[in-house]
Amino acid sequence: MNFFDYLIVFGFMGLTFYVGSIFYQWVGSTEDFYVAGRKLTPFILAAVLTATNVNLYSFVGQAGIAYKHGMAILWQTWTGNMALVFSGLFVLPILRRLRIKTIPELLELRYSKGVRTFVAVIWVVRLAFWLGVISYAAAIAAQPITGFHSFTFWILIFSVIAIIYTMLGGMWSVAFTDVMQFVFMLLGALIVLPLAMSKVGWWPGLTAQLPPESLTLVTQAGIYNWKFILAIFLLGIEWACVDQGLLQRAFGAENTKTVARGLVLAGIITTPFALLWNIPGLASRILYPGIENADMAVPTLLANLLPNVILGLVVCGLISSHLSTISANLNGVATVFASDIYENILNRKATDREVLRIARIVTAITGIAMIVFAYLVPRLGGVVNAYLTIIAIMDMPLFIIAVIYGLLWKRANWQGAIAGYAAGALAGIIAQLHFRFDFNTTTFISAGIALLVTPIISLFSGFPDSHKIDSIWRARYTSEEEIRGNGVYHIVPKTAVGKLSLVIYFVGLLLFLAGVYLGSRGETTASLVATFGMIIYFGGGLWRAYTN
Amino acid sequence: MYVDWITWGIWLLGLVILVVWIWIPLQEFKKLMAQRRKKVQGKLQAKG
Repeated sequence: MNFFDYLIVFGFMGLTFYVGSIFYQWVGSTEDFYVAGRKLTPFILAAVLTATNVNLYSFVGQAGIAYKHGMAILWQTWTGNMALVFSGLFVLPILRRLRIKTIPELLELRYSKGVRTFVAVIWVVRLAFWLGVISYAAAIAAQPITGFHSFTFWILIFSVIAIIYTMLGGMWSVAFTDVMQFVFMLLGALIVLPLAMSKVGWWPGLTAQLPPESLTLVTQAGIYNWKFILAIFLLGIEWACVDQGLLQRAFGAENTKTVARGLVLAGIITTPFALLWNIPGLASRILYPGIENADMAVPTLLANLLPNVILGLVVCGLISSHLSTISANLNGVATVFASDIYENILNRKATDREVLRIARIVTAITGIAMIVFAYLVPRLGGVVNAYLTIIAIMDMPLFIIAVIYGLLWKRANWQGAIAGYAAGALAGIIAQLHFRFDFNTTTFISAGIALLVTPIISLFSGFPDSHKIDSIWRARYTSEEEIRGNGVYHIVPKTAVGKLSLVIYFVGLLLFLAGVYLGSRGETTASLVATFGMIIYFGGGLWRAYTN
Repeated sequence: MYVDWITWGIWLLGLVILVVWIWIPLQEFKKLMAQRRKKVQGKLQAKG
């Protein structure tokens, strides 16, 4: 990078800081800090969700996998997008009606305070650890792209501004900086795609120079085969239904219809966006073959391909993707700690002002812990990967107890929930660390054990509190807030048009699954059928979100 | 001149998303600002 690139990058950082910090005045209560006063509109929500979900891993790590293994890795994002649509249409509107701020809060409403505390503590540690790992990865990736080799410089650039504006403006700052950062991310990706493609001879050049399996979306064999697509779809649904960083934004929606529309729009717009950042990974394989560390594929491409000034703009896009993700998760840790641990256990008589102060302090402490941990990551080596795998496995049982049994089976009680969660997590850890099963198999095992243990223990212990059950079951249909606002969102649509849209949505889902099945048989039409099914699925979902 | 419809098709889709997501959130943001201004003015009047 030259002087002008740095000028652009620092100008962008200054603008981000300015936009983030002006929302300090908008935060008058914890509701403002946690969920932006529940005022977010559909398009703002969609941009916020996309900015949170797309991080530097997408641009560098995922594109690196595309470099090494081909386009099938796209399903990691695409199935996540499909899961967003599912969650937006069927799950999140129910949670929004309950006016909760965190998933642990749902667990208290449905089960008991003990389950809430148990999961809250796990989530605080999980999010803080995750922040450290992604910050480390971002600082490593930034060095070859920019040519400025200082880990400390990039860690501070990535962290300090996000910590300060998140601490000041909470979710209001996160939301509006996210919208701005989404625009920069997309702009960066739009610059890179034609430049990379022109160097490889456009699409015909790309297809002629890559092995056919690199361009196959649904494959029978390989790491990212049809089984991976099913496992990652399952994990995607779990993520879209219980991930605190994601859900907190959705809880900021102005009403249930906005939740549905925001999530569906986010899922749809991230789908072509994923092509914009993965195709350069494929182009890099032709231009720079033999790069051993696949994570260096896109940084090498950018460093060699982009002229100055343009490089500065693209770096702003990459920084945006990271800032939006860490600010969202910092806000998530602060909310879980202040709401589920401080206000709920440590100081039950705390005033709103005191809780707000604690939330800001926790944001700062988590930010500092994130920086410290980023320095520790290389010393921990494989431990980090093992930890992240275990954590991913532990999320699956959470989805089972919170959504599957929490919202669908009245007889599930807190004993069953805790036992199911612990047994599923333990089974996942044993499957991964002792039996060395692959990630896909481990996911199915941890989910299966939680599915099995929760009902068994529930049936052998007492009945759950009927008041808790009633409040949750009422939220499946409507809420006072919706009735007053005259805008009830029906999970099962009332109109014929609404029902037709839902039929189209499910036809799309079946086609997608049929495509994956064809992939398991090694059929050449598999990719086409699965992709076509996904497009129909999105079309039906979008229509459904805008009809009732 | 050769035109790669696949690449430019994906690019155009991205551009449309970019333009829509600059335009509409800006309108929504203006509405939120107006609501906020009204709320602050209401509070000031109540105090005054």
